Amino acid sequence: MIKKLTCLIFLLILPCLITLPSSAPAQSISNEPLLTLSFEQIQKQARGTLVRWYMYGGWAHVNAWVDTYVASEMKRRYDIDLKRVPMDAGVFINKLLTEKAAGKKKGTIDLLWINGENFKNAREAGLLFGPFSGRLPRVRQNVDPDSITYDFGYPVDGYEAPYGKAQFVFEYDTARTDTVPTTIDELKQWIKNNPGRFTYPQPPDFTGSAFVRHVFYAVTGGHEQYMAGWDPDLYKTNAPLLWDWLNEITPFLWQKGQTYPRDSAFLDTLFARGEVALGMSYHPPHAQNMIIQGSYPGTVKTFVLDDGSIFNTHFTAIPFNAPNQAGAMVLADFLISVDAQLSKFRPENWGDFPALDLDRLDPADRGRFNTIDLGPATLTPEQLAPVAVPEIPAPYLEALEQDWKTHVLDK
Amino acid sequence: MSWINKGTTGLILKLSPLMLPYLVLFCGGVFLTVCQSAGIFTPLPHAGRALDAYGLILSDPSFFASFGFSLGVALISAAGSVIAGTFLAYRVWQLPAKLANAALVYKIPLILPHISVAFVVLIFWSQSGILASLAHQLGLIQAMHQFPNVLYSGWGLGMILAYTLKGTPFAMLLVMALLVRFDVRQIQTAAMLGASGLRIFFTIVMPRLAPALHSSFIILFLYSFGAFDIPFVLSESRPGMLSIHVYNLYFKHDLARRPEAMAILTIMFCFAVIFIIAYTKIVTRLENTVRKL
Amino acid sequence: MKHFSGISHITTLIILVLLFALPAGILVMVSLAPEWRYPEIWPAQFSFKGIWFLVENKRVILSSLAASFGFSLLTVLATLLMCLAPASVFARTCFIGKPLLEGLLLTPALVPPMTFAMGLHFVFIKLSVADTVSGVVLTLAMFSYPYMFRALVAGFQTMGDTYRTCAKNLGAGSAAIFWQVELPLLMPAVIAGGNVVFLVAFSEYFLVFLMGGGNVASFTGLLMPLLSSSNRSLAAVLTLIFLLLPIVLFVIMDLSLMRMYRKKGMV
Repeated sequence: MIKKLTCLIFLLILPCLITLPSSAPAQSISNEPLLTLSFEQIQKQARGTLVRWYMYGGWAHVNAWVDTYVASEMKRRYDIDLKRVPMDAGVFINKLLTEKAAGKKKGTIDLLWINGENFKNAREAGLLFGPFSGRLPRVRQNVDPDSITYDFGYPVDGYEAPYGKAQFVFEYDTARTDTVPTTIDELKQWIKNNPGRFTYPQPPDFTGSAFVRHVFYAVTGGHEQYMAGWDPDLYKTNAPLLWDWLNEITPFLWQKGQTYPRDSAFLDTLFARGEVALGMSYHPPHAQNMIIQGSYPGTVKTFVLDDGSIFNTHFTAIPFNAPNQAGAMVLADFLISVDAQLSKFRPENWGDFPALDLDRLDPADRGRFNTIDLGPATLTPEQLAPVAVPEIPAPYLEALEQDWKTHVLDK
Repeated sequence: MSWINKGTTGLILKLSPLMLPYLVLFCGGVFLTVCQSAGIFTPLPHAGRALDAYGLILSDPSFFASFGFSLGVALISAAGSVIAGTFLAYRVWQLPAKLANAALVYKIPLILPHISVAFVVLIFWSQSGILASLAHQLGLIQAMHQFPNVLYSGWGLGMILAYTLKGTPFAMLLVMALLVRFDVRQIQTAAMLGASGLRIFFTIVMPRLAPALHSSFIILFLYSFGAFDIPFVLSESRPGMLSIHVYNLYFKHDLARRPEAMAILTIMFCFAVIFIIAYTKIVTRLENTVRKL
Repeated sequence: MKHFSGISHITTLIILVLLFALPAGILVMVSLAPEWRYPEIWPAQFSFKGIWFLVENKRVILSSLAASFGFSLLTVLATLLMCLAPASVFARTCFIGKPLLEGLLLTPALVPPMTFAMGLHFVFIKLSVADTVSGVVLTLAMFSYPYMFRALVAGFQTMGDTYRTCAKNLGAGSAAIFWQVELPLLMPAVIAGGNVVFLVAFSEYFLVFLMGGGNVASFTGLLMPLLSSSNRSLAAVLTLIFLLLPIVLFVIMDLSLMRMYRKKGMV
């Protein structure tokens, strides 16, 4: 009987398998009918719908901001229900790739929070809908087009709408730590003098990955050489300097570098609980946010290294098979509105820098941004601007993340 | 359907609500895993030969490290759970009736999901956790770094603790189910004949509990070996559990690496099946009984 | 058992409480004291921030609770439907290959569920079953039905054939026998199996994440990101809800079962 039943399995499964497509061509869709509509028509179409926004879920305060402020405003202003879905960017790109290969025309994701190598991979695989950001009135109105031409060296071409700006800072507790390093070389010495008190999130976590890029810039002579795009020979010559630097500090890291925090939230926890002395974040007011929440003591301050502090823009994008592209466009447009950017900027909510061009706003709105108190833990724009350096082109980032595993973790 | 008699048809009909999903979803699922490991029915057309993925996996020393590590974590936590669970169940069974209700607290970790149990371990055992604070107050340590490194020692102790905390009540539950049917007079007789408490436990009680011990061991061992939830919260950077390995290959790499993820899954499945068969065979031979599961 | 003194019983209870109840007690404290840090053995100050978090995010929390609750109950129902008839066959009939088949049918609870779920995933996407509640329920049921199956087989065995024969002799049809005689007698087994299946489904993270693709909300999915958050009171509060909800459910089930039996004069 078992044998007959085995035959039955094949019979039952066969129909599912026959329907598999041979292969799906990776072509980006153009001439979307939706993009010929006016934005008012799109808003009208989006009324009463549900928008599913897939985003990194590791930051409780960001989740709370989306679930409360954004969700209630979307409902109130546009009669749109917002559902936030926590998922790592790499994972949802993978999900979309699978859906594309399966020939799934209607997916489940409406909007993505994305940038960098994930955007590049998504574009190259034809996973994104667009170009749409030029159709968003608030992007046209409030955003400097030059600030959103490239994302990690990859042309945006209107397939992403700007959402926020970030710049990398370190955090320390003045009650526990008197002096902090000011350069990468001093940081190395500081780590050696304070064994077990420093670590960084394991790449490909973006904060940890950004820390590695800072070291890469600093020990190989600055960022300018990489801006021209991917150069394998240059990478091959320069990368060993980075691995040497990182391997030199490994024995002095938290847990002797045997293990690394899984993500930046985990590092925040170690820092908050005093297991490590330095924290790091992609958001300059992050420390202030944590102080307001009660996770960090009020004595925490932030600092940057003179070698540079990477800044970048993060975006939202719409998948090729988003079931509610109209709703996603309305949400992307709302996120770049003055109100949303202002609410997001407040350190008690999140402290993510606005992606708006403040010069384009009317004076009253500009004033609202200028009066926000970023708190004593946050560095001033005058302290942040001089050290700001751009992100590296995405292929470097991918190579660094991949090779970090072989050259540092598995060493 | 003339080739089967009426009785068989009725039997098959009655069994079909279970057999159909079993064959389609379970057997079919495993079948598809095996196919995809060979590059058939994968999202991307597979370029190489059928067994390429296995070649890649088996030539990677980190796979064997992960395999051994998963095996160790599963073995220690399952054995620990069964031993602790049996002992505690035996003691709870002996509690006088009025205290027996208080013993129901053992069910708390049964209700908690695995990820919450992992969280509890995190709260208790991290170097800035409850136990470190306690050790500090007792004067055992002066700084948190002196507290033993439990979670990140590279030995998977955190996962072992979490699995044991979750597994002990489970083993207790299965053992208690047998104990309630146990005849107290056997123990009383033995005690009257002068047997010590330990002797009673090992020669009279234990053999009766054997079926529960074996099933709980197999279930707990294989669960810890292949589950994802607890390692996702507590795992270290390396060596990782196999399930984390599979997750990374499946979700964090491009689709071309799918066959490798599926190959690991196939190996895990074969290991589980071989383990079940071998374990029941050995137990049968040792105890000369018919069936344990 | 006179050779066990009262002190040793108390020791047993203390061990049980330390191992299993203390964690829950600590969770209550963590949820009320987000700023509880090393080396304080008792929190320096308590705050209701964790509770406020519940209030502020009640929309998301309630909807994911409801989703988890819903697909867990559906999973219980699915396993019940799958196992009822086969369990009666297994308890009452002998046929060739029965021990082997029973062994095979129990394997889904033993082998790692990833091994078949990930194989199914791609086909489920193609069939548009992935990212739906039915996909989640099917996968969870496939992995948890053996608990229901074993409970039902045991239930049918305890019941024996006598009630059935008796009802038949009194002229009851097979539908009446099932609904009025067998099912009520089987309820303890259904509830025992259902409890386990419910807990397995309710506390699963990975399979729901895989098959639900984020589209099917779940309480574990809501909790997971909070576990590594530096504000531990949030995760603690949600974990406590996790603990309370099934307990409430089980108590309600037990009470209603008792009432049903009393009504039918079966107690």
